[in-house]
Amino acid sequence: MITLRGLTKRYGDKAAVSDLSLEIAPGKVTGFLGPNGAGKSTTMRMILGLDRPTAGEALIGGRPYAALPRPLTEVGALLDAKAVHPGRSARAHLTAMARSNGIPVRRVDEVLETVGLTAVAGRRAGSFSLGMGQRLGIAGALLGDPRVLMFDEPVNGLDPDGVLWVRRLMRSLAAEGRTVFVSSHLMSEMQLTADQLVVIGKGRLLADAPVTEVIAASSRNAVRIRTPRPGELAARLAAEPMPLQVTRSDAGELAGDGERADERAGELIVTGAPIERIGMICHEIGVPLYELSPQEASLEEAYMELTGTSVEYGAGAPQKAGV
Amino acid sequence: MANLTGLRARGDHNGDRENDGDRGGNGGAHGRGGGAVGGGLPGAVAAEWTKLWSLRSTWWALFAAFGVMGLMSAILATSTASNNTNAITTDDQGVVQVSGIAVGATDLVQFVLIALAILMITGEYATGSIRTTLQWVPLRDRMLAAKAAVTAAVMLPAGVALGVLGTAVAEPLLGRWGRLSAGDAVADVLAVGVYLALTCVFILGVGTVLRSTAGALTTAFLLLMAVPMLLVNSSVKALGYVADALPSTAGRHFMAGEGGPYPPAVGLLILAAWAVASLALGTVVLRRRDA
Ligand SMILES: Nc1ncnc2c1ncn2[C@@H]1O[C@H](COP(=O)(O)OP(=O)(O)OP(=O)(O)O)[C@@H](O)[C@H]1O
Ligand SMILES: [Mg+2]
Repeated sequence: MITLRGLTKRYGDKAAVSDLSLEIAPGKVTGFLGPNGAGKSTTMRMILGLDRPTAGEALIGGRPYAALPRPLTEVGALLDAKAVHPGRSARAHLTAMARSNGIPVRRVDEVLETVGLTAVAGRRAGSFSLGMGQRLGIAGALLGDPRVLMFDEPVNGLDPDGVLWVRRLMRSLAAEGRTVFVSSHLMSEMQLTADQLVVIGKGRLLADAPVTEVIAASSRNAVRIRTPRPGELAARLAAEPMPLQVTRSDAGELAGDGERADERAGELIVTGAPIERIGMICHEIGVPLYELSPQEASLEEAYMELTGTSVEYGAGAPQKAGV
Repeated sequence: MANLTGLRARGDHNGDRENDGDRGGNGGAHGRGGGAVGGGLPGAVAAEWTKLWSLRSTWWALFAAFGVMGLMSAILATSTASNNTNAITTDDQGVVQVSGIAVGATDLVQFVLIALAILMITGEYATGSIRTTLQWVPLRDRMLAAKAAVTAAVMLPAGVALGVLGTAVAEPLLGRWGRLSAGDAVADVLAVGVYLALTCVFILGVGTVLRSTAGALTTAFLLLMAVPMLLVNSSVKALGYVADALPSTAGRHFMAGEGGPYPPAVGLLILAAWAVASLALGTVVLRRRDA
């Protein structure tokens, strides 16, 4: 369990993290999302006692990180895969790490095996590729068999096989009842991995909810209707006292063509109305339906909507290439 | 499931996990017992020790230190011998203490070991691995104390061995101009070890405060070499007193034995005070600063 209470960090007069209060519960994968510069890494550094909060506190099982007698046996974290001395071998790095916290040194070979680095354990970490570095970082996080795990963009640089492996690893760590807190920019990956989401923007909390809820709250959730009488249904829906939006996605297809037009389905996408209500309306006005299906927003869409106004370092409009 | 080999390997750990139940709840009790079951200062020292010897640069630095000591001692010994035998009589040094040659060579040799001590901390800032280190040992004073302990534990015997080497190289080259008494030689060689250990600990604190390798090396050179030389050669007497209070001058008086402005023990105390002060400052700075 990680508890943040009014956690705040300012660098000069720039607030990197503002008054963040939340609990990250065990037994779940909690995804930590937010645009570049939102304050994710800063928050994680404060949880590990690396950066000192300007105000508030970050607790692990009720205690600050620095008060943990053998921190690596309680919190495993991968913040920056490059934060390993390049001149040291993977095995030496993990051995020193194990000794620092009184962890049996045989764990080193176990975690090297887990992350698939056994064959290169004696090589200097500086010669590792980005993905190998990430694996070494994950090995370090697992070394002390901790109850709390924290990963800052762990799949960054991993091959598809590695991404899948990390996803399964996170899921199984959470299934064992551990607290798993992981930041990422890969929404599709988070949708598959996370149970709970914490979204921040410009250092402020934007959402702390189950993934399903975050997606359900999106206005991009829609209902898709195929009917031979789309015009009639669209008109009726427009009369509803709801802020719904109807889009014809088959523009022009129904025009002309006499009787056969009746059989050709028109397609409507309706947002802002529950599927049950739409079904009832169709029934009331006797419009036949070929299809009535929910179109769930992706996490990416829900995320974009949430963070739309909090993107700090957004790209400008793409420049026209080759004048 | 099949490919999660690591988690299967972790099974035995998960077993005891269930037994110790709610860790958060009995955290206090766990906290008190924590030092005894591993970690703590001994763990931090073991980690620093492992880290130091797993870098090639450590071996190179020690190798270089012995090389420089051999070379310097040879140069000093032959020049002493030739000064005594050449036509110029004003530069004659007469019969010298053989181990004194090793003490003299330490002035230069120290910089190789100082570089090693500096890298123990600034190397971590340069590579970002300081964050990893503090993740392992979050207590700043413990982390720095562990580095200081390892520095002293390496530099003291290295210094003694260097002193022995310097003496051994100088002895045949000095020939009849060398005087070797076991008691004095042992005292000199031990003094070199103590001096190097304290100086390196002192400079470790400086490196902690400055974080940059170049900055710390420059400071070390100025403080240990350039400034004392300027002060001693200045005509203002008060500046000479200041020079005597600087770590390297104090260390030299300590190693030289009787005959200095204060007894050798005072020199040792002054040098130790510098080391303690720089570690204290380093700890304060580490506590205040974000990693
Ligand atoms: N040491 C520092 N000094 C000054 N400003 C900093 C420092 N560290 C972070 N910041 C600022 O704090 C803000 C949050 O940075 P942080 O690295 O936590 O963002 P992030 O959410 O991890 O971003 P990304 O997704 O790009 O990794 C940024 O505006 C950054 O410039
Ligand atoms: Mg980041």
